[in-house]
Formats: sequence, structure tokens, C-alpha cells
Amino acid sequence: MSKDIDKLFKDKFKESKTTAPTEAWPVIQAKLKMRRINRLIYTFSVLGFLGLISFMLFSTQTEKTLSKPLQKNTSLKNEVILKGKGVNDVNDVNDVNDVNDVNDVNVNKDKLPVSKPQEDSKKLYATITTEKESKNNMPLEKTSFFKEKFKDTVIEKQVKRIDSLVNSLDHLVDHLKDDLKKEKKKLIKKKDSIDVVNFNKEKRRRWNVIPVFGISNSGRLSDNVTTLGTTRAVTYPDKYFDDNKSSGLIASTYGFNVVFRATNRISIQTGIFSKELRFLTEGLFLSEFIPDVNPTNIIYNPGVEVRFSNTPDIVGSESVSLSQSILYMEMPFEFKYRMFGDSKFNTNVVGGFSFLYLNKNEIRAKTNTSSRSIGKAGNLLTTSTSLNIGLDIEYHLSKRLVLNSAVMYKKHYNTYKDYNNEYSPYNVGMHVGIGYKF
Amino acid sequence: MVIFKDIKKFKHKGSFEGWAKRVTVNVALQKFRKKSSIRFDDLEESKIPEEKVFIDIEEKDISLNFLLSLIHKLPPQYQLIFNLYVLDEYSHKEISEILDISIGTSKSNLSRARQLLKKEINTMKKLQL
Repeated sequence: MSKDIDKLFKDKFKESKTTAPTEAWPVIQAKLKMRRINRLIYTFSVLGFLGLISFMLFSTQTEKTLSKPLQKNTSLKNEVILKGKGVNDVNDVNDVNDVNDVNDVNVNKDKLPVSKPQEDSKKLYATITTEKESKNNMPLEKTSFFKEKFKDTVIEKQVKRIDSLVNSLDHLVDHLKDDLKKEKKKLIKKKDSIDVVNFNKEKRRRWNVIPVFGISNSGRLSDNVTTLGTTRAVTYPDKYFDDNKSSGLIASTYGFNVVFRATNRISIQTGIFSKELRFLTEGLFLSEFIPDVNPTNIIYNPGVEVRFSNTPDIVGSESVSLSQSILYMEMPFEFKYRMFGDSKFNTNVVGGFSFLYLNKNEIRAKTNTSSRSIGKAGNLLTTSTSLNIGLDIEYHLSKRLVLNSAVMYKKHYNTYKDYNNEYSPYNVGMHVGIGYKF
Repeated sequence: MVIFKDIKKFKHKGSFEGWAKRVTVNVALQKFRKKSSIRFDDLEESKIPEEKVFIDIEEKDISLNFLLSLIHKLPPQYQLIFNLYVLDEYSHKEISEILDISIGTSKSNLSRARQLLKKEINTMKKLQL
């Protein structure tokens, strides 16, 4: 049986041919279509986004281009305002430096008659201002809306980022502060413990006796008038020199301190001192003897027949000054607090009070040629007190020897009869001494 | 692989099946051309023999592998046109466009391929006898 050779081959190959199911092709085609649609959506989205960006960039360019004429027009406008409002209102020029002005300034540019009279300029300014207010929603604003939004978003993001950074830094700083405080506390504790150890080591040497020598100067917080006169009398006002100036003189102090170290920081000290206060009353003259009155606070020694006045009674009356010496035996009770220092060097603050016992009371009259004791002050109390405050420095020369120096301020109380504490003296002194610890 | 790679180029005009088939043929042709330089036999239109070639044989007496081996034995130009025309069912016009040859050349080469195949089949038949 003859057969077409083409058909023979076709039939034979068809038998072995494996083809994809017929329904597979439409499915693949449909899926490809969906994919194409998705692709189109994606492409359009990208194009839209790119278009938006281009639009915003175009807006920026437009605004930049417009801002140049704006500056010119604004300066022109400023000129108009200056002319209309007067030179004194120059600060108001800043009011028109607004981007929104660009259009209305352009509109009125041709109208701006800079050299016109003041009235015209005022009218024009009014026109510009009105138009500015009425054109708040200009197309320029609309075009720059997206740009501004975009800027706002970027700025907000930056602000948030900075805020979070600042918060982080604050947190970090707080942490560091806490750590440092803890470290400081630890160190202080450690130092205190070392001090305590040292203190315990030195327990056997808690007492310290310090012979001291010093100098001091005295004064009064009042007008620093003498206390040797008396209250002004009507009869002989010039005789009583109660308002004559009195100045303090440098005097010496000596004695010894006994210090007891109570803790590693606190010490108690007392002692015995001889302390002298000296005052000089000047501008007096020898006066005639007035037997019927004794108007001053001076108790004259027997046989002394001179008196004093602040005006010369006769021509050639000899000038004289009175030197008053008040010597106290002082017993201080003070606390010392060690502020800082180490085993070698310590700085202490000192506070306390003193009992004062009047030990010597003398008034001497001094002329150019002689000096003579004339008596004593009659207005001094035998016992008085003082409030003491000062700074004390210790330098340990050895285990037992301590160089001590202190600067003290002492305000006296209850020094005088018939005078309030305003007239009581104060005393500023410094003393040094070498103490022995045992 | 080429279909997957070039699937974006599918324009959705016509069926995907047809497009895929065309891509496959084109790729095969490209490979074929690279491997060997093909010279097609040009014959005058008048000398082109009868289109149909008949052979006296039972289909069951012949195997697919044998037929494949016969195709492989053909010279490349005959092999190519026989495959395109008979197995892939391209017309002479399409073949002429694909291979950039004349329709007559396509017809003559196909005819030669048929004659050679017939000869081979007959030879085999004689050997079997």
C-alpha cells in the first residue's frame, strides 16, 4: 500500500509527540496579561511619582526666578513706605518683606511714583497694603504648596531626629552624672575611711597644746567715736568730747590653745589668752579744771588735776591725745571643722565664743613731750563675751609638732556700761604657734 | 530559556502557543546556522518535480527512531526544510521568509529531501527482505 511520505513522517511523529494540555495555553496567556496590567500600574505609579518630583522641582525653580524681581520690587516698595510714613517709621519696613508680596508689588510697580508728594505715596502704600491683604491666596502660594508640604515633612523628620538625639544625649549625660556622683561618693567614703584609719592610728595623739602669739587690731562698727566722753550735756557741750573720733591700734595677743580632736573632722579647742585692745582719741586739749562736774567716763587717778576739752580754752592750750588700753584675759570655747586636707595639711573653719575678764584698764594722756597715766575708763564692765569666727590652718611638721595659724574675727558684747553693743568693739587678729600633740 | 527570557517581548497579539513555537524555531535556526554554513540547491521552477512522493510501506513496519535516523542522514539544507515543512507545518512562503530563500528553492530542497528519504526507506526495505 503506497503512502505519502510526508504523511508517514507526520503520523509517526504525532504518535510520540507530547504536547502541553490545550487548556494550559489560555491560562498562561491570562496570567501574562495580569502581569502586564500590574506592570502598567507600576510603570504609571513610577511615572506619576517622577512627574510629582519634576513638578516640585519646577515650582522651586519658578519661585527662585520670581524671588529676584521680588527683592527689587520690595526695595522699591520699602522706599515708597519710607516716603509715605516718614523716616521715623523705618522699622516698619520689615513688615513688607514677605514672599507673598511678589504679585501685588508687580501689579503696582508701574504706579510707584517715588518722587511724588507725600500724600500720593501714602495712598499708594494704602493700596499696596490692601492688595497684599486681599491676595493672600495667590497662585504662587498654590504652586508652592507641595514644595512647602514637602519641606515641612523633611523639617519635621529632621526635628524629630534631632529631638531623639537630644533625648539620647540627655539620657547619656544623666547616666554619666549619676555614675560620677556615685564615683564621687565612693571616693569620699574611701577618703573618709582612710581618714578614720589615720585618726584611729593617731588616737594616742588627740590632744594638741599650742602656745600662740599674735597681733590684732580693734575698731567699732558704729561711727568709731570715743567712749571716754559722755553723753552731751547742755551746759558745757564742748567739754565732753563724746563725739571725738577714736581709732583702734594694733595690739598683741598671746596665750595657748588646747585642742582636742573629737573625730577625724571635728575638734574642740579652748585656752587662755591675754588680749589687749587699744584705742586712741585725738584732737583734745588740756582744759581748765572744772571741780563741780565730772562729765566724762574717765576715773582720774588721785592727784591728777588736768581735764580735757575738744576746744582750747586759752590760746596756746597744749594738744593732747588719750590712749586707752583694755586688757582681757580670754578663754575661748571653739569648734573646729576640717573642710579639706590630708595627713600633712588641714584647713579648718572655726566658730565659737569667748569669756573675757577685764584684767587691765588704763588711760594715758600723751602730749608732744610726755606720756602719763591719768586714770581708767569708768564705763567698762569687768566681764564680757565675744563671738568668734575664723579660718585655721594646720601644717604637720612631724608626728607631734603642728604649725598652726589662724585668722579670727571677734565681735565683743557687753563691753560697756550705758552703751549698747553697737559701741562694743570688734577685733581682727592673726596668731601663729607651734603645737605639740600628745 | 529564551522564551522565559524574552517573555516581555510577547505583544499579546495572537496566541502565546504560536509565539512560543516561533521563538523555538528561530532559536533552533540560529543555532543551526552557527554550526554549519548551509547552501541551498537552487532549481528552476520548471524542473521542480511532483510535490507528492509516495512509498509502498506499512506504517507499522517502520519505527520512529529509524525515521529520525533517516532525517539526520539528510544533508543539512534538506533536513532543515523537511522539518519545517512537514513536521512544523510551515508553508514554503514562510520558510522562504525565515531562511531568506526563494519559494522555489524551498520547494526544490524539500523535493530532494523527499527523494532521498524515499531512496533510504526503499533500501531498508530491500535489506529487510
